[in-house]
Order: sequence, then C-alpha cells, then structure tokens
Amino acid sequence: MSREYEKPTEVFRPQNSSDVEPTESATTLSTSGRLISYNNQLKDGLANGANFTKLLDQLITTTRTDELFEAAQALSTYQLDTAYLTFPQQYSQSDFYLIFINRLLALHSRERVILQSSERYDELYHEFPGINSAGYFIFKLENAVQGGAYYTEKATGEALFYLNFEKHVLRFNSRAVTQLLLVEYHDSIGKEAIKGFANYLLDIGNFLKEDYGFDVDFTLLDPSNSAIYQLADANLPRSIIDQLFVEAGNGGRMLELGENSSPILRLDHGIVIELFEQHNYEEDVDLGWGIKVYDQQHEVAWFDVLLRYEFLRSWYLDNLATLEIQSDALYFN
Amino acid sequence: MANGNTVSNGEYLQATQELTKAVASKIRYLQTLATAIDNKNDRLVYQLIDGDRYSEQIIQARHGSADVDNENLVSDIAAKLSQYLSTNLLAYLAATYPFFYFEQIDLGKFQFYFGNWWDRRLFGELNIIKAQFIFDPAEYEKLRRAFELESQSKRLNSDKIGMLSSQADQLQALIDSQEQRDGEKEKIRLQLKKAAQEKVMPWEASKAKEAKQQLVNQLSNLTEQDEKAQDAYRLIKDNEKKVLELSKEDTLIGYEKQSIIAKFGSFDAFEARCESLYRDYIADLIATNGRMNTNE
Repeated sequence: MSREYEKPTEVFRPQNSSDVEPTESATTLSTSGRLISYNNQLKDGLANGANFTKLLDQLITTTRTDELFEAAQALSTYQLDTAYLTFPQQYSQSDFYLIFINRLLALHSRERVILQSSERYDELYHEFPGINSAGYFIFKLENAVQGGAYYTEKATGEALFYLNFEKHVLRFNSRAVTQLLLVEYHDSIGKEAIKGFANYLLDIGNFLKEDYGFDVDFTLLDPSNSAIYQLADANLPRSIIDQLFVEAGNGGRMLELGENSSPILRLDHGIVIELFEQHNYEEDVDLGWGIKVYDQQHEVAWFDVLLRYEFLRSWYLDNLATLEIQSDALYFN
Repeated sequence: MANGNTVSNGEYLQATQELTKAVASKIRYLQTLATAIDNKNDRLVYQLIDGDRYSEQIIQARHGSADVDNENLVSDIAAKLSQYLSTNLLAYLAATYPFFYFEQIDLGKFQFYFGNWWDRRLFGELNIIKAQFIFDPAEYEKLRRAFELESQSKRLNSDKIGMLSSQADQLQALIDSQEQRDGEKEKIRLQLKKAAQEKVMPWEASKAKEAKQQLVNQLSNLTEQDEKAQDAYRLIKDNEKKVLELSKEDTLIGYEKQSIIAKFGSFDAFEARCESLYRDYIADLIATNGRMNTNE
C-alpha cells in the first residue's frame, strides 16, 4: 500500500471550500439544492468505490482470462478518490499489474512467482524462488505520454519489460535482461534458476499473446527459429567475427561458412547459430547484421546459448556496444 | 627447256605426298582426340594433349610417343579442354582432398580454398591439364612451418604472440607505475632545489655538479617513461589487434593441420600424394573406366 494515499479524510465545509465543483453556479443554488448536490456527489463517490471493490473481487477471484484482463485494465487506471470521498488505505495502481501477472500465470497453472507484501515499504512485490536472494520486482508506472508500466528489478533498477494494457503491447528490454540475467546473476545464481526465471518471462509474453492478442517483442528471449535478433550496430567489424572464430576454436568448436558465406556455429543438440547481413533487395538497402538460432524444437533463444556457452557470453559482453540486440527504441533508450 | 626454278615432276609429287601425309597425321590426331572426348575417355585425352608427361609419369619411359607438333594444334583451346576435364578431376579431388574447396574464376580456371571455416585461406590454383596443384607459396610455407614447429609443441605464431604479450605487460606496467614515477619526480625536484640552495665549498664543486647531473638525468629518464606511458594505451590496442590476427592465423592453420592428419596421417604423406596426383588420377581413371561413365 502506498503512503501517498494515506491522507486524512478531508472535512467538507459548505461555505468555504475550494474543492467543491458545483454543477451550477453556487450563488444560484438554494440550501436544499446544495444538500442534494452534496449528497449526489457522495452517492457517486460510493458507487465509484463499490465498483472498485467489484473489480478487485473480479481481479482476485475470476477464473476467466478475459474477466481478469478487464479488471486489471480498469484498475490500473482507476481513480478511487473523488473530491467528496477519499480512501486512506489504497493499493497503488502499479500493484494491480503485479496481481494481474500472478493471476494470469495461476490460471495457466504456471504460477512460479510469489506475490509478497512489504510492510516496510507499503508495497507489493514479486519474488522469484531461486533468485530471491538477489532482489525482487515491482512495476513502475510510466506516467508520461505512453502510459503502461515497466517491470523493474528493485535493487538495480533494471526494467525487464514494458507492459501496456491499452495498446496491447509487451516489449522486452534486451539490455536489462542481459545486464541482470547474464551479468548480475552470473556469479551468484545457478543457471537452472536463471533459466527458470527466463521461462517465467517467456510465459508472460506467450500468455499475453495467446489470450489477449498482445503484440510482443521478446528480443533475445525469442526461442522461435524465425526470430531474427537484430544487432544494435549496423556495422559489424570483421575483427569481432575473428574474435568469435578464435574463441570458438579455443572452445573446441569451429566457426564455419554457411550458405552465402555467412558464418555459422554448430553447438550441441543440433543448435546452429548464424550471423548474417540483411539486405532489402527491393529497395536495395542494407539492414545491418542479425543473428539467428536454429534448433529442432524451437526452444532455444539467443539468450539460452549465451547462458549455456561461456565463450559466447564473454564474446557477447566484450563487444556489447556492437552486438547488443535491439529493443524497441520507443520504450527503451 | 631446263629451268633452274622449275621443280621436277618427281619433286612435286614427293612434296604433295609429304604434305598429304602431314595433314592426314593432324587429322588423325584431331580425330582421335574428338573420339576420346566423344567417348568421355579422359585418360586418352590426357595422353593425347601431353604425351611427354603421360609417358614420363605413367609409362615411366623417357622417350614416349609424344607428338609435340600435333599437341600444339590444341594449345589455343587449352581453356576449353580444361573446362571439359575439370568435371571428372574435381569429382576425384573432392573425394581425395575433401578439405579443398574449388571455385571457378574463368573458363577452365579454378582456384581453391583450404577448408570451409570462417576466413579460410585462398590456397592456390589448379592446373587441370597437368592435374597439378599450384600452391600459393606463402600460404603453403606457413603450413609446412607449422608442421615443423609441432615437434617443439609450438604454433606458427606462438613466439610472436608471446613477444607481443610481454610487450603489452610492460606497457601496462608503465601505465600502472605512473603514480610511483610522479612521487619520484617530486622527490628529485626537491633534492635539486635543496642542492641549489646549499653552499658548496670550492673543493666540493665538481662532486656537487656530478650529483646534480645525476639527478637531472634521473628526472629526464622518468619524463621519458611518462611520454611512453601516454602512448601505451594506443600501443596496447594495436597490440591486441595484432595478437588477434596472429591467433586467427594459428586457429586457421590448426584446422588445416587437423584436416591433413585426418586424411593423410602426416604432412609428408600429404606432400607425397600431391606429388603423385597426376599418376594417381590417371590410375583412378583407368580403374574406374573414366569416372563419369561409372559414377553417374
């Protein structure tokens, strides 16, 4: 619960109040007219509160995904207080995002993240078993033009994804995912736990896509074979590929030439990585470099090979300025 | 009437006969070649277009049935001959040298790369008429040298990389010791200042001068090191680039060595096989009855 909402209830003074927004000019209203107007405002405020409780009930108890979304969307922007009626104990709007994520996963029987409440900070937060020693997660509202909220790791401030109910948009942030999961957690947390957390993030994206038709950008977490991981820097110097060639060789693997002479790397279990230059032949423009990851089961993403193969991880991190996978610049910079 | 410029009937007849014979020989030669090509008898084609090489290599006779004059008849269509002969020869080479990747650069002209890995080296050209590799001398020498260094358990560029690494270490040390140098310079400057203020007895003058010169030398020595340190970052970057290039070459050559060991067992065996390529290929053509006919 957020402290900013714990304001004392304001006392209404009919003669001397700037809060009042009378429907008609005050001087033309009779006393009884004022009373009726006041009473109506209270009724509206109570109805607004009752509607809120109904939505909250729905958010917490519904077993239907469409009702869950409807409640979360409404609550995420709900103005509970009116000029005549304020509620001193309130959850913040960002808390409803957390509840929504939990419930959505629960409805799919994939609930792994734990919703906790912090007495100290008066807020709800997400704790993920296995990585809870390293921190926890909250939503931070984007109050500017865009609306929506960022799923943020509290200690580091890394925003892992952006979620917008109105626009039906989910965008992962490759930089934050890399920094948190591949750098921060690398020494302190086991790979299994990190992979479990990445799967949880994938679940969120998949369920939002399947249940509500969200437009999702998974960036480096996308396990599909058709996913093209676009490099942030359009010019990939040969020396960086040379580095991969040497490091792969040291790791007992060979950077081969695939079709069109693009470098490919064969890993275990039939996983193949390809680096390639994209070109739009219709308009004759270079689209910069991309990475593809193939595997039989469509289960392996660029993130997974970075997590599993140390030589790829260090190569990626050493050259991050060039190799970083692009995120949606509209939401991350 | 006898005329010195008029040839006798007998001489004319002889000339006609000899020319007819010569032309017939050429027709016969070309006819034989045409039939060989028609029958896809590459072995015979090889024998016809370079009889000397064929005799020497296959029959092991010094004076074979070479017909050099007739062979000259086809010298201007060597590219077309090469193009024709390349089909079977490349098929043979693909099986014998699976690590060579051939690329056509012109009619009947092929170059080849070593391996199918990143930044593989262009390793030479193929002389199809002679069934012979023309290795790039520089690249070939690197490979030979790399095999030679194996006995010292070194890679081709181990020494160079070692040198560059120790250079980088020195440069790094120079950067790291900046603070220490600054301290020393400060100390020397104080000493110089102190010496300048001290009264020196005449009989100690030369000694004092010597001491002062020593301090000045030390100071300029330290300043020199400072200048080097300022350049060190750039040099270290350059160093890294060079080391990467050399490591890449070592990795490339490592793959080449592995390929040769896997197929031939040793570099000597590989060289011997390259030496006898023509012989081996003709023998293969005989054994397989001209490859194309049997394989496809």
